[in-house]
Amino acid sequence: MRSAFINKITSEVSKNKDIFIISGDAGLGVFDNFKNESPDNFINLGVAEQNATGFAAGMAIAGFKVYIYNIIPFLLYRTYEQVRNDICYQNLAVTLVGIGSGVTYAPQGMTHYSIEDIAIARTLPNLTIISPADPIEAELSAEYSLTSKNPVYVRLAKRGEPNIHVDKNINITEPILMKDGEEVCLIFHGSIGTEVMDARKELLKEGISVKVVSIPMLNPINESLLIDTIGKVKHVISIEEHYIIGGLGSILFEIFAINKINNYELTTLGITHKFIHEIKDQNGMRKLFGLSKNSIVTVVKNILGYKIL
Amino acid sequence: MNLIDKSKNIRRKIIEMAHDSKSAHVGSSLSCVDILTVLYFDILKLEPWENRDVFILSKAHGAMALYAALAETGIINENLLKGYLKNDGTLPAHLDRFTAKGVEVSAGSLGHGFNMGLGIAYGFKKRNLKRKVYVLIGDGESQEGSVWEGALFGSKLGLDNFTVILDYNNLQGYGRAKEICSYEPVRDKWEAFGWNTAIVNGHDISALRQVFKERTKNKPNIIIADTVKGKGVSFMENKLEWHYYIVTGEHKDKALRELL
Repeated sequence: MRSAFINKITSEVSKNKDIFIISGDAGLGVFDNFKNESPDNFINLGVAEQNATGFAAGMAIAGFKVYIYNIIPFLLYRTYEQVRNDICYQNLAVTLVGIGSGVTYAPQGMTHYSIEDIAIARTLPNLTIISPADPIEAELSAEYSLTSKNPVYVRLAKRGEPNIHVDKNINITEPILMKDGEEVCLIFHGSIGTEVMDARKELLKEGISVKVVSIPMLNPINESLLIDTIGKVKHVISIEEHYIIGGLGSILFEIFAINKINNYELTTLGITHKFIHEIKDQNGMRKLFGLSKNSIVTVVKNILGYKIL
Repeated sequence: MNLIDKSKNIRRKIIEMAHDSKSAHVGSSLSCVDILTVLYFDILKLEPWENRDVFILSKAHGAMALYAALAETGIINENLLKGYLKNDGTLPAHLDRFTAKGVEVSAGSLGHGFNMGLGIAYGFKKRNLKRKVYVLIGDGESQEGSVWEGALFGSKLGLDNFTVILDYNNLQGYGRAKEICSYEPVRDKWEAFGWNTAIVNGHDISALRQVFKERTKNKPNIIIADTVKGKGVSFMENKLEWHYYIVTGEHKDKALRELL
């Protein structure tokens, strides 16, 4: 997923010399070719994130199309005030490319996880938030960012995620109906999509009809389209590798409440709101927090009143 | 009109704005007036506007000084000053670049304008433009870590189109900078970070005009300007309380008499 995004940006440089990538001393192997081929469009500003973020804003003021690449906590948490004041308040064309969505980096430790980034990013006006599920959504996110004149935050995983879409003929700015179904609607963002799609397959074998909606763009959201896409399905389940607080779970509660929609029964799956001390890889974490394929299958069956064998 | 008269006009505008709006930060604004006067009337290339030099007031709580200087040069209409800090007014206490021409960046939290200025200067170099960037920082502001991150990279990138002016008035929000955290030896620190350094009396117009013209190739510049907080108004000079005090009618009359 990461390569799909980065390759799209770097391949665009031959056409647009204003594209400039700032790395915060991250991305070994990612930019090796690029920085040799396009040394004028890349700089590593070291382990100095506050400077890098203000610097990026300055370059955008000077007319450049700037990308900052870093691991999410260093990109967004360390520099929240720079992102707020320098980039979003001034509404500049800077794209924050965050690596390590959710617990991608597990078991590197809590400092490297990003399970509250959407909650934080949502507080910032002008900031478009994109959480791609697969390389196809990632590449389309890159395309979106290239044409945007405003701040964009993209959260990416980097574990060789497979494509869950079949083709690129999708619109990542809107909720995407991936599979239609009637009994339950699974809504997700980000790389957890593979678990969701696998869960659907399993449920289908047992004759359960499952709708699946990917929602890569979490701000802004076309609310009426989202509600139309969910349609008449009663049971809605949000699934995300993020805290429910401030994440998709919160977003759906807010949309339903604000639009006075009470015909859905919403279940929210996400990372438990606590600091993670367990030492597990990404799959282990997904099992621990009830986000694995099997957990999703169990939750759906419980909700529909199936007997669990 | 000579630059000393210009600086007096700017100070008078500040006193009137501060009185009219009951604004704090009068002392902070007065301490950098002579620096801004020299920049706007002698150093900054402002024509054509789209190819101008950029000045950033990183210690943005001194915004009244910038607004007054912009009005004195005619970059903004003097009428805008009347709406400073007013309900439904024109100009905020800290900088918002969408409010007035010549406010190059939005700033208010310390240790931001400096780094944005570096990015702008780097961008100008990338585009082979001759445009220069000047950033004024406070001495209290230089306690921010972001300033020192930028100091490392400013010299690494050889940004000789970038000049910082340190408004060294030795009075920050809640005490003497030297007592809270001594910067000394401040010049040695910037030298060690690879900067071209100079020390100047920040109220000596001719010395300031001279020092801005001294540059070294491939190095960014810092001018350490010894200044007096509240400069130009005897009862405000070097007084901590004038970081916050409100200018009463009596203060105003007395101050304006001194600034004739």
